Amino acid sequence: MSDVVSSSITGNLADTTTHANALADALAWFDITASDQEERRRLSGIAEQMAGEIIEAFYDHILSFDQASKHFQDEEHINRVKRAQVRYFEELVSADIDDAYIENRRLIGRIHEQAGVTPTLYIGAYAFYMHRLGHVILDKLAEKPEEAFRLMLALLKISHFDMSLALETYVETREETIQNRERELSELPTPVLKLREGLLLIPVVGTLDSHRARSLTVELLEGIREHRAQVVVLDITGVAGVDSAVANHLIQSMSAARLMGAASVLTGISAEVAQALVKIGVSGQQLNTAGDLQQGIKIAEKLIGT
Amino acid sequence: MAVRVPILQQNRRLIASIQEDLSDQEILDLQSRLLDMVVTKGVTGVIIDVSAVDVLDSFSSRTLSEIAGGVYLRGAKLVLVGIQPEVAMALVLLGLTLKDVETALDLDRGMALLDRSGA
Amino acid sequence: MKMAGGVPDIQLRRITTDSDIVAARKLGRNIAESLGFSRPDQALVATAISELARNIVNYAGKGEIQIAVIQDTKGAGILVRASDQGPGIKDLSKAMQDGFSTGNSLGLGLPGTKRIMDEFDISSQPGEGVLVVAAMWCKP
Repeated sequence: MSDVVSSSITGNLADTTTHANALADALAWFDITASDQEERRRLSGIAEQMAGEIIEAFYDHILSFDQASKHFQDEEHINRVKRAQVRYFEELVSADIDDAYIENRRLIGRIHEQAGVTPTLYIGAYAFYMHRLGHVILDKLAEKPEEAFRLMLALLKISHFDMSLALETYVETREETIQNRERELSELPTPVLKLREGLLLIPVVGTLDSHRARSLTVELLEGIREHRAQVVVLDITGVAGVDSAVANHLIQSMSAARLMGAASVLTGISAEVAQALVKIGVSGQQLNTAGDLQQGIKIAEKLIGT
Repeated sequence: MAVRVPILQQNRRLIASIQEDLSDQEILDLQSRLLDMVVTKGVTGVIIDVSAVDVLDSFSSRTLSEIAGGVYLRGAKLVLVGIQPEVAMALVLLGLTLKDVETALDLDRGMALLDRSGA
Repeated sequence: MKMAGGVPDIQLRRITTDSDIVAARKLGRNIAESLGFSRPDQALVATAISELARNIVNYAGKGEIQIAVIQDTKGAGILVRASDQGPGIKDLSKAMQDGFSTGNSLGLGLPGTKRIMDEFDISSQPGEGVLVVAAMWCKP
């Protein structure tokens, strides 16, 4: 049997070659040779037999742990998962390690992340299988311990490779989830709060990119019109990363507010923000600023008085 | 055909209410009429109300600045009122801040501002 | 370009006088409104068209504004195409800088127009006029 791994990717030749190389590299990293792949096939027959048993034992094991059992609430669900695991087992011992195989393992990683199954649970499950399988192998090859060892080793290599794929995808999916959540948070509309007659407070939170800055400005201006505000307090304590781009956005919002006859007070300014403002050429005189909200509101009230 | 912007006189103040988007010629016409009236009628305060205006572009805003400057040179004060949120947004994105023109939310506020400054 | 609603594909306005500027921006605004653009965005589109039309009048004497409705997977949008056969712009990168002015006015308003629109492209060669193509998508 040759060492060449079959590829299911179509596309230009360069892509296929790089891709095949990546796969070859990964296999080499885990020290999985062609003979390893062959070796474990010897388990095919046994695996089918034992898979069912091992998996049953596995679920008994799981259900005795609160943390794990909460993932397996109903009968139907448990049966489905068991069937999937039998398949997984079979593939472990007999499937070709090609792109389809890899894609499948990645998918499993994604599913686990979405189901909230942690790496601990996942690795623990894998360990359980390997232990049980180890015993089966030792049993079947009692007379030839060296062979048993080789076989076990082959299986371990491949199962480690498997786990690495699933875990990598788990991490990627996790990061995606986090990014999505952050984006959702940043897309929440800015609250425009009427503190008292003629005074609006706008707590700005999160990142202020040009898209958000624009919605902020629109909300601010409509708020000025609706509440007939004379002063607007923009509190930027919660703004992440104020650089000159963000400073520019804020200045724009304040200029627009002024066009509607409302003065602005910028509060929650840290030393670094003050620096950013100075950099884009705005001095303290042109801007009403305050270190904290209380101070800012006092300044705002004085401005209404004028 | 130039649309004449109605200019009301209330005591020593002028109120110009722009009803719709003005062409360049119309706003220049407004400029000369206002400046003329400031002198001939002894006016102390001018309010230009743009609450019905949808678009203020670079020419309009520059001319409004000039009107404010001209009014000031003739001894009176000008307040621009009624800039709508959409218009404010567009002006600021174009980099037109009209920082040398006094502004107020609406006619009432504009008048109050003139009162406070004795105009 | 696909059609959206009952609005004809491309509408064209010759620009030579300042009342043409008003007509063009009114047209743009109406189209934006019929597509469901938010009020702020309607005003922005109208302002951008006004600036582009104004450049034509000021620098080329005459030209054209084409306004078209465009579609993509995100929804509908407005495409504005301003073209003239005037003297053209010698230094495009300078013209796209804020504060650049060739003389009697605030400048070409191009950087501002670019800020306003979602998409913006400009090409010009001295002696061959200016072509600006800009688009804004409907975000109701």
